[in-house]
Amino acid sequence: MRSRDGNSNLSRRLCSVVLFYSLALDASEYLISYRYVVKDAILYNDTLQISKSMKKCQGIVHSDALILDINDSKDLNKIVSENEQEFTSYIHKLGMHINYSDITQNLQNHSTAVLTLKTTCFKVDFNDNFVKIAPLQ
Amino acid sequence: MKYSLVLASLLAASSLFAAQQVQPQVQTVDTATLQQTNDELVQVKKELSKVRNEIQNVHDKAVDDAYEQVLKENKKLTITVVGQGVAPMNTTSPAQAYALAKRAAIADGYRAIAEKLKGVRVEGQDTIKNMMVQKSTVRTQVEALVKYANVVETAFKEGLCEVEMEIVISHADFAQ
Repeated sequence: MRSRDGNSNLSRRLCSVVLFYSLALDASEYLISYRYVVKDAILYNDTLQISKSMKKCQGIVHSDALILDINDSKDLNKIVSENEQEFTSYIHKLGMHINYSDITQNLQNHSTAVLTLKTTCFKVDFNDNFVKIAPLQ
Repeated sequence: MKYSLVLASLLAASSLFAAQQVQPQVQTVDTATLQQTNDELVQVKKELSKVRNEIQNVHDKAVDDAYEQVLKENKKLTITVVGQGVAPMNTTSPAQAYALAKRAAIADGYRAIAEKLKGVRVEGQDTIKNMMVQKSTVRTQVEALVKYANVVETAFKEGLCEVEMEIVISHADFAQ
């Protein structure tokens, strides 16, 4: 509806909506899982799976977020592989499921430990110089 | 008979005199020593109570050390473990060896934390034939979800990485 003082109210609202959505557009959700196997105290295999979520995740954003520096890249796989140490230590703090089994046969010992981060939805905010990653709980 | 009576009276008089003279002396000596012994006794009693307290403290500490710490309400408990990991043989650089060994050590640390918090399932089987052990097998298993464990210290020496990890747990973490 046209107001008496022109369309200032409408245009203001429209501008704020456009501005808000333009800021929120770069926030996306990713599904991340991580698993690594340690056999006889030696790292045997590790797998990090990252994929963009195809539907909206439910939950509240975790307060303790990880901030990584980026150089105009929007590829999360690349960003994470460049900052693998930081990312894995962050994942460890969030909580890992451990499954350890050990067998001693005729005094010879073999052990296997599997640490897993079950598929978790992360909210990822891309900015100019950094990316903010936080899990949804 | 006359002499004996005189001698007896002399003896009696001398003993009476001696008693009169010695008695106050003995009394003064007795009070002084008594005071001294009383003081010493008080001191000994004090020392004895001190020693008793020390023994009690040592006993309490020994009892505390003997039993594992128990998580009580409104109190936090810190569990510290050391995990060990070895670098693989086919690494391309010392940095890679360090990174891989550290990750293996962290996994071992997580295992140790899980063992302490949740416990270990142990299964053993021995096969004996003709009174001789043919096969001996011990299986252990740990399964847990560990959150908010921190790496406190990392040491890497001669291919072995040791990480000291700690986790702070409170009663509320386990409340249902």
